Amino acid sequence: MTPTEAIYVYGVVRGGTAPDLFADVGGIDGRSPVRLVVADGTAAITSAVPLSEFDAEPLERNLKDSGWLERKVHAHNDVLAAAVGKTVVLPLRFGAIYTSEEHVREMLRASPELARRLERLDGLLEFGVKGVLDAAALRSRLADNGVDDAADTGGRAYMLQKQRERGIAEEMRAFAAACADASHERLSQAAEDATANPAQPSDVAGREMLLNGAYLVRAGREQQLGDAVRELEERFGADGVSYELTGPWPPYNFAGEEAES
Amino acid sequence: MTSNSPALQQEVALIELVDRVLNKGVALTGDITLSVAGVDLVYVGLRLLLASVGTLEQLERD
Repeated sequence: MTPTEAIYVYGVVRGGTAPDLFADVGGIDGRSPVRLVVADGTAAITSAVPLSEFDAEPLERNLKDSGWLERKVHAHNDVLAAAVGKTVVLPLRFGAIYTSEEHVREMLRASPELARRLERLDGLLEFGVKGVLDAAALRSRLADNGVDDAADTGGRAYMLQKQRERGIAEEMRAFAAACADASHERLSQAAEDATANPAQPSDVAGREMLLNGAYLVRAGREQQLGDAVRELEERFGADGVSYELTGPWPPYNFAGEEAES
Repeated sequence: MTSNSPALQQEVALIELVDRVLNKGVALTGDITLSVAGVDLVYVGLRLLLASVGTLEQLERD
């Protein structure tokens, strides 16, 4: 290897995995082939990257370029996605870069826990479910319910209106919390493991994320998670809640130590 | 099901992807160290950028 290149590592698979699994995806630099670097019982999914782009200094610069980052994040995921559903894959976080294949092998030999985590994920797929509340729709629904016929005017009407608004805000918070808990609980029933990530901030359209969950589902039982999503849509749809199911993903949310216990 | 604009759905999908690839997965320290603080900053920047794209589209619709 020339000193103009480094080795980018996407994830880890079993040592016996067929390298042609990745024959159709390009490396994160847009041209280098994806190769498996094997040591002991595991193999690192790798490709060569130019140091002009991935050495510490240019990398620091490139990370501030959202267009560059978006392309690289897609490329990282595309490589791992080639293995999803075909063989068990342990995804690494973006940016594990080594100066030689020998260093990648040393990392594999020094990390016996990677093989254990791989085995734990065998036959399991990650899905994401987001629950999103149309806050405006729920607010107007609650406001309609609270309207009384008394033709109050002036200060008294103003006070009543303020009271009602406070009541509605309180009701909405309580609904959002209860809906998030019930949704995560129902979805977890269809999964081997589950994690509720912090909800992302509400977006410009006034939609509020209630649930940002990841679910580890046994291959062949994806239907059960889909059924759970449909059941929740029927239950909470009229209150302005919709669900977005994504996946199967490489098991990013279940790859780390925190999932080990 | 959902009445989101395609642009909004793309934003959601990208944020979900970025969140997984940058914040989840096994964190190994390679030979070339990448500052985690730097990535977090970029991540926030990307979200702000996406939010502002969404705001622009919203303004154009209104």
